[in-house]
Amino acid sequence: MSDISVPAHGLRSRLHRSATDPVNILMLLLLAVLAYLVLWPFIQLTIETLTWSQGDRRLSRDAVPGEFTWFHWLQATTGPLSTKVLYGPLINTMITGIVSTILALLAGGVLAWCVVRSDMPGKRWLQPILTLPYILPSFAIALAWETVFRSPKVGGQPGLFEALLGTAPPEWLSYGAVPISITLAIHYFPFAYLLVAGALATIDSQMEEGALISGAGRLMILRRITFPVVAPAFAAAFILTFGKTIGQFALPFLLGAPTQYHTVATMVYANLALGLDSMAFVLAIVLIAMSLVAIWFSNRFVGKKSRRFETISGKGFRSRTIALGAWRWPVFTAVALFSFTVGILPLILLGVQSVMLIDGFYGLENLTSHFWFGTSNPEIAFGEPGVLHNDIILGATWNTLKLAFISAVIASVVGLVIAYISVRRADNPLARALDQISFIPFLFPTIAFGAMYLTLFAEPVGPIPALYGTFTLLVLISVVSRLPYSVKTGVTAVTQIGKELEEAAELAGAGWGMRFRRIIMPLASSGVLSGMMVSFVGVMRELSLIILLITPSTRVLMTVGFGYAEEGLSQLSNALVLIVAVLTIIGELILMWIGKGKMARLRDKQS
Amino acid sequence: MAKITVRNLTKRYGSATALNNVSLEIESGEFLVLLGPSGCGKTTLLRCLAGLETPDEGEIIIGDHVVFSSKNNTMVPPGKRNLGMVFQSYALWPHMSVRDNVKFGLDVLKTPKGVADERLDQVLDDVGLAHLDGRYPSELSGGQQQRVALARLLATQPPVFLMDEPLSNLDARLRMDMRVELKRFQSDTGATTVYVTHDQTEAMTMSTRVVVMKDGEIQQISPPDQLYRQPENTFVADFIGMPRINLVELDTVDGRGTCFSNGDIQIETGWAPGVQKVIIGARPEDITLSADLNTPGEDYQISAVLPNGPETIIQLMRGQTVMIVRVGHDTEFATNQTVKLSFKRQSLNIYDAQTGVLVTPPDIEVAKAG
Repeated sequence: MSDISVPAHGLRSRLHRSATDPVNILMLLLLAVLAYLVLWPFIQLTIETLTWSQGDRRLSRDAVPGEFTWFHWLQATTGPLSTKVLYGPLINTMITGIVSTILALLAGGVLAWCVVRSDMPGKRWLQPILTLPYILPSFAIALAWETVFRSPKVGGQPGLFEALLGTAPPEWLSYGAVPISITLAIHYFPFAYLLVAGALATIDSQMEEGALISGAGRLMILRRITFPVVAPAFAAAFILTFGKTIGQFALPFLLGAPTQYHTVATMVYANLALGLDSMAFVLAIVLIAMSLVAIWFSNRFVGKKSRRFETISGKGFRSRTIALGAWRWPVFTAVALFSFTVGILPLILLGVQSVMLIDGFYGLENLTSHFWFGTSNPEIAFGEPGVLHNDIILGATWNTLKLAFISAVIASVVGLVIAYISVRRADNPLARALDQISFIPFLFPTIAFGAMYLTLFAEPVGPIPALYGTFTLLVLISVVSRLPYSVKTGVTAVTQIGKELEEAAELAGAGWGMRFRRIIMPLASSGVLSGMMVSFVGVMRELSLIILLITPSTRVLMTVGFGYAEEGLSQLSNALVLIVAVLTIIGELILMWIGKGKMARLRDKQS
Repeated sequence: MAKITVRNLTKRYGSATALNNVSLEIESGEFLVLLGPSGCGKTTLLRCLAGLETPDEGEIIIGDHVVFSSKNNTMVPPGKRNLGMVFQSYALWPHMSVRDNVKFGLDVLKTPKGVADERLDQVLDDVGLAHLDGRYPSELSGGQQQRVALARLLATQPPVFLMDEPLSNLDARLRMDMRVELKRFQSDTGATTVYVTHDQTEAMTMSTRVVVMKDGEIQQISPPDQLYRQPENTFVADFIGMPRINLVELDTVDGRGTCFSNGDIQIETGWAPGVQKVIIGARPEDITLSADLNTPGEDYQISAVLPNGPETIIQLMRGQTVMIVRVGHDTEFATNQTVKLSFKRQSLNIYDAQTGVLVTPPDIEVAKAG
């Protein structure tokens, strides 16, 4: 297209042709929409931190609403509260982020090796349990932790630990860096596990056999061959996991806030709750900066190497498993115990606790179904009815399903269209820009992204009405936050569809819309459908992203559950989290069924 | 039916030129084969005709319609050009049954259901797939898939067929059968056909005319027999024919310019090509060998005897010069035997060694005119 030798009339005709091409029109439209929904919110957020707002009159006599100021940045970095507001949380975020990532990687790496490379028994049913903590809402684990280690020092009833051992757990085990790091690690180790397992599965055993023939021992092979090959994946997993932990809000909030232990993410929330919006936005930008630095590191040092592994997937050459010998059953027992502890035990704890009339008293006489089926009783839980009788919760359930469904469908279809444009028009710089812009939400820690939308849609701009407090806004942010994933799924799907299949339809006279509908969509459907399911589950358990944007009329299960947890109504919040957990697990099962069933057969037909 | 005219077509990809100023007239009902080594531009030309590629310059006219013109900013989209195409990979839609694959084109044309069904039954019956119409492409053999692609092409009865190496994915036997069938469908429908291949047997057996291409330029357009007998340059001569033509470079040895030699062998052309250096082209079957050393001609030594079914290929040496000769399968020649070699002067093609272009003797011009 960048031909200089093209005569002027040729260029003009080309311009005319590209202006009427539906794909180009769609591309420009999507670029404009995404620029507004992805780039502009960030700029808007930055401007907000550099401007005096109405509320700032309380803070400073110099405040002139609407005028430029460094005030918020100076206050955050050098003000009297900077240690409490910025530096402390920053250090806490780094500590919990790095410690939990290391733990997650260790656990994930060892488990991945056991499952992928060893002849450990029971892999088939251990694997889904191992991924359970990741598909559960993150603060389910925090709630389960609280159930066990709750300390009466911060008020409330004693936890299971105290009930069994008779003494209160030390405070560092109940709240703060230790529990946050451990629960984050439990939530994220499956993520690391999947990444490392993917890399391990691509190792050709011939590499190891070659070393074996040259006389190397098992440990030497592990050290000299296996580890170097998966090292880039490890590094990538480290950075990606770290990037995810720092954006976590609910989990550190539940286990940190009671003792004033704050991370940057919880500080964003706390500041907004106090009405210090500009300070919250400064912190959101700090959070984004941390995420960007992490991603930059990943691209700078491991990007090129780890990409090698991403491209090889599902190629399915047989890799030899390594015999554990006498260790076979001990290893199995250890892995099974571990997966039970992190995958199933938390759910049992939540379940048990949700049927206790008075929290912390472990005895049969204390059992009640009130928190599930009961009607309002002023003597229990401030008169809140049981979750299955509660209008708020039924409304929230409906909202949750509606939000997850609509967002997943839109995200998948838009993702497929963007993927189509970026694959089929790879030589067009605008198509590349579209691909990149759709990836940007991945770089925003979710709570910061929520903060951006708080400012962007607070007031009407031109034809766009104020969306704050509307369901539409929740759909918008959910869709945009899922785009990086759905575009990736779409790219994989579109790449597999031969160009000739579409050309044949083009020759038959089918326009672009018809080709997309009758050729691309059906052929991409298996991949897109599973992507849709992933988005559905992802949106359903999302909290950090939307917590700032929720109003009473748009409540979803997760925010209601978080609200109960915040108020100390732990039985109700546990019951709610269990509902979400069950819904997510059902979603995952459907996903597995899709993967194995009808759609897989269709995929076979394509190849 | 439709005549196709291509004028001064040029297509570039960045700095590479895929088609360089190509002009071509394809008669209505003709079976034209585009032949050449990979990367010669034959597929690009076909895709330009289809409208799947946009040329940079030139003009394409199909029937009465200018479908592409760089001067008038005309670019008719593929679906409006009224042509059908068979792709090398067949490009069957894997998620549609055989019937739905064939029906798609009729759907686009919004053919009424009754008419469409009738037409579908007809076409599926023609290609012998009526009993498989509910199957999916992955459940068919390669030959059956090929037939579906063909049925899809025939369904909408386009006046122009485009085929991009349609037989290259079939095994040798099936390819033979399909050649006959393709040819039959083409003559039954009378559709103007442009067929891309790199297989010269396919080109020779099916075409009314062959276009040989190289580096985005047309080398020769001829009916197949003429292409074989009178390749217009050394590239075509060398490209066409298996075993390859003997091409020997020779210098003038006398003032008359009719006798040429390279030190090993000497040839008397009988007429003056008018150039200092020539390349002589002799097909292996146009050379006669004789064990009788009293026959006229030069002595050669047999360096290899390669029996190949109905024929035997014999490699000869004289000094540094190597010749390939094709003889019958019942030959009794043996390696290291000395033989006499002779040929008919008329069967030799003489090329200007500098340009590689055929130099035509005066009497052939006369024969051609007659």
